Amino acid sequence: MPAREGTYGLLAEFDTPSDLVRAAQQARLDGWRRLDCYTPYPVEEAAEAIGFHRNKVPLLTLVGGLMGLAAMFGMETWVSVLAYPLNIAGRPTYSWPAFLIPAYEWTILFAGLSAAFGMFALNGLPALYHPLFNAPNFRNGATTDKFFLCLEALDPKFDLVETRAYLTTFAPVSVVEVEY
Amino acid sequence: MAHETHAKTLPAQLGAPAIVDVLKMRALVIAAIFSVIALILALLGQAQDHLGWDHLLRAWLLGLVLTFGFAVGGLALLMVQYCSGGKWGLLLRRPLEAMSRTLPLVFGYWVVVAIFMKRLYLWAAVTDVKAALASGWTNEAQAHAIEFKRPMLNPLSFTCVSLLCFAIWGFYAWRLNTLGLKRDKDSADTTPFWIKKFENISGPGIPVYALTMTAAAIYWVMSLDPTWYSSVYGLLFLVGQGYQVLALSIIVVLMLSNDEPYRTILRQTEQHDLGKFTFAFVMLNIYLAFGQFLIIWSGNLPEEIPWYLDRIRGHWGIIITLDFIFHWLIPFTLLLSRDLKRNKKRLIWVCRWMIFAKAFDLFWLIEPNFKDAARNLHFSWGILEYAAMPVAMVAFWAAYFCMQLKTRPLVQTNDPHVAEILEPEHVQA
Repeated sequence: MPAREGTYGLLAEFDTPSDLVRAAQQARLDGWRRLDCYTPYPVEEAAEAIGFHRNKVPLLTLVGGLMGLAAMFGMETWVSVLAYPLNIAGRPTYSWPAFLIPAYEWTILFAGLSAAFGMFALNGLPALYHPLFNAPNFRNGATTDKFFLCLEALDPKFDLVETRAYLTTFAPVSVVEVEY
Repeated sequence: MAHETHAKTLPAQLGAPAIVDVLKMRALVIAAIFSVIALILALLGQAQDHLGWDHLLRAWLLGLVLTFGFAVGGLALLMVQYCSGGKWGLLLRRPLEAMSRTLPLVFGYWVVVAIFMKRLYLWAAVTDVKAALASGWTNEAQAHAIEFKRPMLNPLSFTCVSLLCFAIWGFYAWRLNTLGLKRDKDSADTTPFWIKKFENISGPGIPVYALTMTAAAIYWVMSLDPTWYSSVYGLLFLVGQGYQVLALSIIVVLMLSNDEPYRTILRQTEQHDLGKFTFAFVMLNIYLAFGQFLIIWSGNLPEEIPWYLDRIRGHWGIIITLDFIFHWLIPFTLLLSRDLKRNKKRLIWVCRWMIFAKAFDLFWLIEPNFKDAARNLHFSWGILEYAAMPVAMVAFWAAYFCMQLKTRPLVQTNDPHVAEILEPEHVQA
């Protein structure tokens, strides 16, 4: 695949989450689909404004959790019943109440790890390069106190001049063109 | 700041909406119907196996424990939210205050238990231990436990400890309720003073609540079986009260949310938070309940394990399995869902289910304590009392709660959280 070049998108900077949410809602209403919001902390309304959709993380978490449960409960049963049966105070070798705690711990462990790593994988992380970091105001503000809306060049509505004028109507602090 | 521009304003009318009256009437009708059913069942039970009135009393005890959980658990959560702060606390404050003001009704319920103590508690009924042992009324373990625990388990200390507990809860309920009104009359510059004041009352109140609630749980429920003891019992009830009070609070808030002022102040964020909080109690509840079971099961001691055998053998295994499903599996799996916690209609149904599950759990705790039911789950007219008397008692309680809810504005205004709760949801960091 040849290196992508040209414009990645136009990045509008806002001072408050409210301004960002309003701009994002309007952009979505106006038919924009290739757009994204960048905020220093989770802003649920911004995610909803640009059409937040379901992803596969919950499914991965469920599958991971069930795998952990099955693996640990199976291992305990195998060890205690088949591989190494011991008489402990006359209890049955298949002592399921005692198996539940480690099985539960593994459910949580596997579910947590699946959620975290599944989220990374579905996010395309680790990514060594992202064009947005070419914008100096993004580098400095996205993790501290600025709110960004990026309309991407991949959207069929994108036009360098018209889109810039469109973004300016939301009264952003600045609109920056981002290169690949 | 720009986001101030689209903040909402508090409605002028902060009183309870008209729906509270409707709910009160509905609760009273339900209470009347189920009281009649309970009476009929008691007579039928009496004719069948002479246990009709006993079953009525046992079911009464269940109703007492459940409404006690709402009233005193509500008081405890009120103190917790004063100490922790948070917008969810402001949202629940007045409903929780109203719950704590229902204490007189719970006291009335308790008086009935105290009067008929001898029919409920073996240690109260048996005065001559040797004769009871000789006649086969008690077994050796019970005779020994009753004699050994006599200084604690006797009618006088039962009454004194319970009265003391009610006095302490009453004091805290009175203090927090009167100051709550006084705080609203003061000007805004007094807010820091009031926040500190409520913290200073509530902070020590929480351990005092934990101790008195434990004493009540031991005397009222655990001592039904004089031979058995568990050091986690109080904590189990404490968490159980958190479980039922949060479920009830969500029901109240969501039922009020179609009208002002809750239509304005209830945001999805806080509803979601309350759902998460409830979920935590569902987890903690099964953690303690299963922990107690696992320890006693592992120890397998003759002093402890009969309590569980009474509740597992003779078809009680069906009830404990259902209890596990009702009390934990269903609320746990449903409350995991983010969408459900943000959906009013579904969340309210899960919370109603949780209160039913709590009552079901109490049935499993109470009924097998008695000789006729231990290791022997069987149908009788009397056992149906558990589905009648507590319903009537909770319905009476709900009517009383609605009455209390109407006596003051539903939002505390002298609080910095009021401004925050009126902001749009995305202004949260």
